[in-house]
Amino acid sequence: MTPFELAEPRSLREAAVLLTNGGEPAHAIAGGTALMLMMKAGVFQPKRLVSLRAIEPQHSEINVLPGGGLRIGAMATLRSLERSVLVKQAAPVITRTLKTLSNVRVRNVATLGGHLAHGDPHMDLPPVLTALGAHVRTLSPAGERTLAVGEVYTGYYETCLADDELIAELIVPPQTGWRSAYFKITTRAADDWPTLGIAVALRMEANVVREARLVVSAATNTPTRLSAAAGVLLGATPDAAILARCGDAAFAEVELVGDVHGSAPYKQELLRVYVARAIRGALVDRL
Amino acid sequence: MNTTRTITFTLNGAPVTTTVGLHQHLVEVLHAQGLTGAREACAQGLCGCCTVLVNGIAVSGCLYLAVFADKADVKTIEYSPEGKLDAVQESFIECGAFQCGYCTPGFVLMVRQLLDEQLDPSDDDIKHYLAGNLCRCATYPEVVKAVKLAAKKRKVAA
Ligand SMILES: Cc1cc2nc3c(=O)[nH]c(=O)nc-3n(C[C@H](O)[C@H](O)[C@H](O)COP(=O)(O)OP(=O)(O)OC[C@H]3O[C@@H](n4cnc5c(N)ncnc54)[C@H](O)[C@@H]3O)c2cc1C
Ligand code: FES
Ligand code: FES
Repeated sequence: MTPFELAEPRSLREAAVLLTNGGEPAHAIAGGTALMLMMKAGVFQPKRLVSLRAIEPQHSEINVLPGGGLRIGAMATLRSLERSVLVKQAAPVITRTLKTLSNVRVRNVATLGGHLAHGDPHMDLPPVLTALGAHVRTLSPAGERTLAVGEVYTGYYETCLADDELIAELIVPPQTGWRSAYFKITTRAADDWPTLGIAVALRMEANVVREARLVVSAATNTPTRLSAAAGVLLGATPDAAILARCGDAAFAEVELVGDVHGSAPYKQELLRVYVARAIRGALVDRL
Repeated sequence: MNTTRTITFTLNGAPVTTTVGLHQHLVEVLHAQGLTGAREACAQGLCGCCTVLVNGIAVSGCLYLAVFADKADVKTIEYSPEGKLDAVQESFIECGAFQCGYCTPGFVLMVRQLLDEQLDPSDDDIKHYLAGNLCRCATYPEVVKAVKLAAKKRKVAA
């Protein structure tokens, strides 16, 4: 790794200011797990980093909002989410997803903000949070804004966040009436990077699907909504025939890309099969 | 451009003050202190050979900036306040849960954390918790046995 300077501001606001006012452009670092890999590989050679580790403690907190939603500060570690009873009660799919998201030591250090801002399309939480209808609140010297998680990603490792814009917190809406699942398909260990990720959230009335969000990841440049497949579910009771049609619709509506974890045709076939499995998983949503 | 910092931390119970490159990771700085129990193998967070406890939490030292350990309590496999092996280390020896031993410090530290969190982990719990520890000598079945034995030893001692 090449030498750099490091600032350690005491507030998120000050951090955002430091990102652009110091002459040399700077880059934020939170847990550093993703950045360290890039710096060690030499693909990222910063001159200045701004550490978020000394900012206000409320940015590491997890709170329940009136109505049952969640507010999670950007500096909360993935491990604190995994172990949070509040998260488990409000959205057990997040707790389940974290169990196979990398290993314990990485989760001990990695933060939610870093996870959401990194933009690697293989990351596990962006598709899940998109399906749950979650938002991020950001802060920059220009002001604050709220973005749907699904809007953050604009391309391969690209986000819509400005150079001096930081994620402050995540808001997960109440999940009353919704059931969700995330299926992470790996080709080696269960906690490996996904070959394909599929997140499903369904709002059910008795056995009938009233709303459906299906999201595919790890084989597209950004987490991608499957609207045609979701459309098949609306007003239907998801039996074997509907699930098969849903898989076919997903297969037809999106063109997946291959990578070291699997070729495009392989992933496309996985999609057809696993859309149905993920929907079945959502129907039995529990920890 | 100031690219170094003098940091102070507790290393295995003793205070340390040292100047580090801001870009240096924790394993480099521990080696400079003469401690080689945490070693860099995969260098990318996957294998656990570089496991270090920072404020009681296991981290991959290879992905952890040394400057993040400023003012922290740092413990490595060398930490042994009573000067003898603990239940986990004894169990690894009794079960033959290593061959070359390169991965063992990381396994021992992670197993201690696991048993602090779960008194009686199942095979699945063990495999899941240790998924980020790789053993090139493939002693995994013996490791699982050693964890179970260590859990028993801890219970007897308690
Ligand atoms: C061995 C290993 C295995 C992994 N396996 C998986 C896996 O299976 N699934 C998975 O989903 N992920 C996996 N990951 C990735 C992991 O989830 C990320 O490395 C981690 O979440 C990044 O968080 P961080 O706090 O360490 O981010 P950092 O490395 O500190 O930062 C990452 C990026 O986010 C930016 N950033 C940080 N905080 C903010 C903020 N508040 N606002 C705006 N920008 C910010 C930084 O500037 C940087 O660009 C793995 C990582 C490792 C090392
Ligand atoms: S060397 Fe750090 S995890 Fe392998
Ligand atoms: S004992 Fe040789 S690597 Fe594990």
